[in-house]
Amino acid sequence: MTHRGARTRTISAEGIARVEGEGSLRVQVRDGLVSDVALDIFEPPRYFEALLVGRHFTEAPDITARICGICPVAYQMSACLAMEDACGVTVDGPLSDLRRLLYCGEWIQSHALHIYLLHAPDFLGCADAVQLAERDPVAVARGLDIKRTGNLVMQRVGGRAVHPVNVRVGGFYRSPDRAAIAALAEPLRRARDQALETVEWVSGFDIPDVDGDYRFVALVQPGRYAIDGGRPTSSDGLDVSAAQFAALVNEEHVARSTALHATLEGGHYLTGPLARFALNYERLPPLAREAAARAGLRAPCTNPFRSIVVRAVELVFACDEALALVERYEAPAPPALEFNARAATGTGVTEAPRGLLLHQYDIDERGVIRRARIMPPTSQNQLTIEDDLRRVVQGGLALGDEELQWRCEQSVRNHDPCISCAAHFLDLTMERS
Amino acid sequence: MSAPAGHATVVVAGLGSEFRRDDGVGSVVAERAVTEAASARDVGPIGDPLDLLGVWNNADLVVIVDAVASGAPPGQVRVLEMDVARLSAHDDGAAVPAPQSTHGIGLAGVLRLARALGQAPARLVVVGIEGERFDLGRGLSPSVQAAVPEAVRRVVELIKEVHPCA
Repeated sequence: MTHRGARTRTISAEGIARVEGEGSLRVQVRDGLVSDVALDIFEPPRYFEALLVGRHFTEAPDITARICGICPVAYQMSACLAMEDACGVTVDGPLSDLRRLLYCGEWIQSHALHIYLLHAPDFLGCADAVQLAERDPVAVARGLDIKRTGNLVMQRVGGRAVHPVNVRVGGFYRSPDRAAIAALAEPLRRARDQALETVEWVSGFDIPDVDGDYRFVALVQPGRYAIDGGRPTSSDGLDVSAAQFAALVNEEHVARSTALHATLEGGHYLTGPLARFALNYERLPPLAREAAARAGLRAPCTNPFRSIVVRAVELVFACDEALALVERYEAPAPPALEFNARAATGTGVTEAPRGLLLHQYDIDERGVIRRARIMPPTSQNQLTIEDDLRRVVQGGLALGDEELQWRCEQSVRNHDPCISCAAHFLDLTMERS
Repeated sequence: MSAPAGHATVVVAGLGSEFRRDDGVGSVVAERAVTEAASARDVGPIGDPLDLLGVWNNADLVVIVDAVASGAPPGQVRVLEMDVARLSAHDDGAAVPAPQSTHGIGLAGVLRLARALGQAPARLVVVGIEGERFDLGRGLSPSVQAAVPEAVRRVVELIKEVHPCA
């Protein structure tokens, strides 16, 4: 048995306090066959579900946004949709457009971060983003520039870049004025050009030739690439409402792990960029479709290692979409719909950068939360990530432990699990007998 | 508020989350220090050290204020001078323990990254306040709250080294 000590991609200043975030992987090989793969990811959402019970329904967006520093908007949006669903309210028109703009900001920042700082070093033989920056400062500076534009969008619409404070059930506390939003056009135009360069950059990487057999699940909305709403749809014909989807997903607690493992109708499935690209390709704007074609990307893409290219294409889309929303922006008045709570169950699902994020709440007639269920993308993708790992390990048994560990980490990062997990990865235990 | 053009630039940033109790002390101290020494620019609160990139470029002095979990008595204030050229930290007190970070890249990593990109500040100092509680919730522990004036004084001293009349 070889057991590697904690191998971490994190470089931190000594003594600076932060908490949470770890993942571990245990692989067992018997007689040349992978017998068990266990990926353990620490999942903060579970603690929040208990915390939400007894709180007022209007508090859910702000409380759940604290779950993740990387995708707070996703948490806010799914929480808002769930509460509005419970109260029988639909937020549409300019308010919905403003939400979509905010969400685009989060996609831009999250995708830029993942592509440039977490994922690209894997393909270029760099230990981390710092080494990559030393080797290719122009590329990394470009990635950070794109990320900053995403931050800027979140600041203008959400009030600040981390944990936006302007979002509420029914809409926003305040509508940003037109000039503030119009000023986003220029940085977004630049970011869109940089995103096109990103597609070109990542499509030149040496990408392993691997083929996965996936059941893709993504939101589908008529006429546009779904982010902030839509119906859960699968690559094999499932097309259901958010509430029906919630009922079809079973989350099981596995003894070895702190995370719940989700199955859909008893089977594994994959959400996130590969799934969205497979199910929504024709709803991408022409600019993004052309970039995909130039990168040699066709839908569906079933090579998980090419997810970095798909993410780059989505980056083009998010910049292009944000720009279109900025150009036709009219400050919504009033900034939110006002309504009363009623005793009901509500379900909301949106596309977080890394995949489907579902919230479901039971609230009573006073608007007090009685039950909360939060299904983050990482727990939905976990079993599929393990399938990928099994394939990668089985195909790479000839490799030394170190190289195999590298390949495993890369394989996990293909699906961009929540950054706290992706970054602290990975404590690998290999048991060969 | 920015210093007039041609003057040395000082950037102060509070790191951490106000929703993780004592982790929020950084932005409280940063804000107060910049109110007292208005020639410095407060860019916080910053949740992800990566967001320092771009905002601290070419600054003459960057002061990072953050909560620390080192096992020292809660409320203890320490000043760490980061060696920007060699990227090590000189502590004015005892050795600091291994880091924990939710984020992909901590402060030292961000400094290395900035250096590779030619965006590093000339001088980087960390003012750390030992925290007691980092669970979910707002508000500082009494011991940490009591340390705020001392931490503010240390930050103001650092600013005044650059801007004596701040």
